[in-house]
Amino acid sequence: MATSARYHSHYDVIIVGGSFSGAACAKRLVDSGYSTLILEHKKLPRHKPCSGIVSPRGHRFLLENFGPVPDEAVHSPKTCRGVVFHYPSMLSMPMDFHYGPTLHLNRKYSDHWALLQSGADVHERTHLESVEDKGTSVEVIARTEGEHIRYRARYVMGADGPNSTVVRSVYPGYEKTIPWFKVKQYFHERIDCPLDDDYFHFWVHPDLGFYTWSHLRNEGQIVGVGYGAGDDLNKRHERVVSYLEEKHGVRLKPTEKREGSINNFGLSLINRYVFGKGNIIITGQAAGFLNIIAEGMSCALHSGAIAGEATVDALRYNNSIQDTYRKMISSEVKRCSDQWNPFKIIFGNPHEADFMAALKRHSRSDRRRIIRDIWSFLRPWGKYGWGRQIVTQAVFRRLIDAYAPSRWL
Amino acid sequence: MSYKTDGSKHIGKDSLIGIPRQQTNPSRWSGKGWDAFVGELGSSGIDVVTEPSKLSLYRSDAGGVATGSCHGVVIARSSEMIADIMRAAQKHRIPVTVKGGGLTTEGESVAFGGLQLDMRGMSKVINIDREDLTVRTEAGIYWHSLAESLRRYGMDYLSAPLNMTSSVGGTLGVGGIDVNSPRLGCSADQAVALKVVTPRGDIVECSEEDNRDLFELVLLGYGQFGIITEATLRIRPFTPITMHYFYYSSLREAMEDLKMLTREDAADYLGILTMLDRAINLLVAFDSDEREKMFFSNWRNKIRGHGEMGFAVRTAAHYLLRPWKLREALYLLDRKRTLLPALSPSHHIASGKIVDRSVVFSRAVWRFWGGRQMVIPDLATSEDKFVDAILKGNEVCKKYFDHYTLYCVGIKLHGKLPRYELSCIPPDAQDFAYGCEFEPMLEGKTYSRDYLQSFKNEIYDIGVEMGTSYYRFGGMMKGYIRRVFGDELVDRYLKMKEKADPSMILNRDVIF
Repeated sequence: MATSARYHSHYDVIIVGGSFSGAACAKRLVDSGYSTLILEHKKLPRHKPCSGIVSPRGHRFLLENFGPVPDEAVHSPKTCRGVVFHYPSMLSMPMDFHYGPTLHLNRKYSDHWALLQSGADVHERTHLESVEDKGTSVEVIARTEGEHIRYRARYVMGADGPNSTVVRSVYPGYEKTIPWFKVKQYFHERIDCPLDDDYFHFWVHPDLGFYTWSHLRNEGQIVGVGYGAGDDLNKRHERVVSYLEEKHGVRLKPTEKREGSINNFGLSLINRYVFGKGNIIITGQAAGFLNIIAEGMSCALHSGAIAGEATVDALRYNNSIQDTYRKMISSEVKRCSDQWNPFKIIFGNPHEADFMAALKRHSRSDRRRIIRDIWSFLRPWGKYGWGRQIVTQAVFRRLIDAYAPSRWL
Repeated sequence: MSYKTDGSKHIGKDSLIGIPRQQTNPSRWSGKGWDAFVGELGSSGIDVVTEPSKLSLYRSDAGGVATGSCHGVVIARSSEMIADIMRAAQKHRIPVTVKGGGLTTEGESVAFGGLQLDMRGMSKVINIDREDLTVRTEAGIYWHSLAESLRRYGMDYLSAPLNMTSSVGGTLGVGGIDVNSPRLGCSADQAVALKVVTPRGDIVECSEEDNRDLFELVLLGYGQFGIITEATLRIRPFTPITMHYFYYSSLREAMEDLKMLTREDAADYLGILTMLDRAINLLVAFDSDEREKMFFSNWRNKIRGHGEMGFAVRTAAHYLLRPWKLREALYLLDRKRTLLPALSPSHHIASGKIVDRSVVFSRAVWRFWGGRQMVIPDLATSEDKFVDAILKGNEVCKKYFDHYTLYCVGIKLHGKLPRYELSCIPPDAQDFAYGCEFEPMLEGKTYSRDYLQSFKNEIYDIGVEMGTSYYRFGGMMKGYIRRVFGDELVDRYLKMKEKADPSMILNRDVIF
């Protein structure tokens, strides 16, 4: 198959995946004058299941790197003011984002716009089949419209999301070693919804799922649920809808549309990132970057940019790309893993909304109830055996002011 | 599918309240019209270098953080050649980025596409006038080359930037500050007359008497209103200098003494260099024995700095009581062992006097700060705000880096000159401004741009909060220009820029 593939021209860098991390990476490379190709397996612009609520840090990155976001690239309402945590004790905790509201992105167009702004060549509907490191270059075999194409590049970047083909090529069998989660969002017409439309709502509730959220989009209400892969999410969703009606007075029409994705939650939680081998590096959610409450856009943008900067450095000085990337990416690892680090949460305020200040607004007895609720929410996660790793990593962070690179693949 | 965005606004207008841009990452220019432009230059006999191996020399600046790539390079040879280039560039709308020594740190001299104009091809000294005490030189010359030429005639420059591999033209465009500046002002203030190629391609001679508006716009103008091709600068007879150091362990005391000595014109050269905030070195130097004597009779007793031995004893006592800071103490010892001899190299000292300050203050010292990357955020303040701003900046340095240096000087102002308006000179400064560079010792470590940028932002945010200015506010940091100077002033300059440079091609993305 590979030997009969049509040969395509040589690039300095090929990025696999036409999403935010790929666009950010491409931006750094193209600005520095390196020939860059992005391979995207879907036709562009392509749909992407996502809440679209980008963190303020991600919003600033878009603005400062790609320019003002176009109208097509946002949903209605255009902005989101903050996050509300809801607890089983029926206490709720609204937290405004620092620096004001942020954008509610339509990933279909925002990602495409960012790709175009990056200036890289894009080959859409091009599916990666294999990637092979030849030592001084990397050979990529891809398929488009039934035809095989062979590409060659100095470096290849895996920026193709949690279920990454590049990661599977570089680390065969890796996908069997980590837990997987399924996240689905269901779209409803609203009958009545007392939830504050300006906020993203998240339920810290062990009986509703690992990841349960709701917010307004285009005059409808999204209800989202996340569970371990293999669970019946439709049943879980029905339970959440009933809960919302019973406890919050949210009345919705039956869902007419649903969409889901598979996710690798937890790698940033336990500092188990995957950064690649040889001339192939991994970035974005493929590498394990995911902020708390599963906002992956801002760390995808930043880690993608860092991957681009490391590649520029390697190309300019003939440095080891792995060495450079792993040193540079440590700042983003800190930002991302700090969000899950219990010591940082208590003493550091690592999030873009002030959790501790919101907690302090409650009475002492309510605070105790909230902490009890959070503890009960964490219990179902126990089966993944992350507790000890989280504490160990948090202690390491305190002692060496970094997360141990030895845990990265 | 294409997207339309209105550059003057962004959706979610209420978003990111209180946090306007912190960083600018210009996009690479598309290349539209490049071939026609190169063809037109070719017909005028101007060669454009386009070989990738040669262009790769221009990918970054001294900062080493911003990287870009031009479409081609022209080595500047004459004002007439540059005028031809600018006329063609206006016609074809080709970005032109000018580079001299490339000592910018925020990518100001990095071309993100378009033409890179290398001024180092214009580096001849044209005339040295020992009676008028002026030198006429091409603007692409490095300061140390100029100093060497002047020495042959027993002359010397007045004030030059600390790193003398800067070019004269680039320095006049941003300021140029060193330990002479408390007495003489910035290098730009030593300019008597300039030959400038305007963005439209006119060659104009300007000075305080002729074409004064252009003269004031080009000096400290960040390369927005013209390319300086020749400059007439004030010079003076050469004198060896005597240097003394006084050591402090309190930043506040050292800064207060620096201010007092600056205000009272107590020395010919004054500055502060620190090792962390533990060993603060007040440098005092003199052109004549008389000035030195006056200092020791009138001011030595007023300052609180110690001699080397007194400071060593105090510092040893400090660390003996704090054994957990052993690593810091060892770092200071090592730094002292390597840095101080560089400030007094025996081969540049005769009879206890420094005979080549250009080497001592620049090349010999710079290797202790420079590296593959240099990150030097700064604050430029009025006298009242100086100490507080530096103390706040010092805390930011500690938060981000194990080792760092602060470099502080006063800058004498020559009245309320128009050139100071949109520059590093803060609007509330009277008679003197003060500058401090916060320079981490990167020591070969590799940091992400995001980490370095966060550090710079925290320093610059102090400036926004306190209403100061900056020396390095262009390029990647240009988001701060409107935050510091306000829309009214920036828009006024933008209108002038649009008039002078209709295609907005000269050094784009530096200020506007």
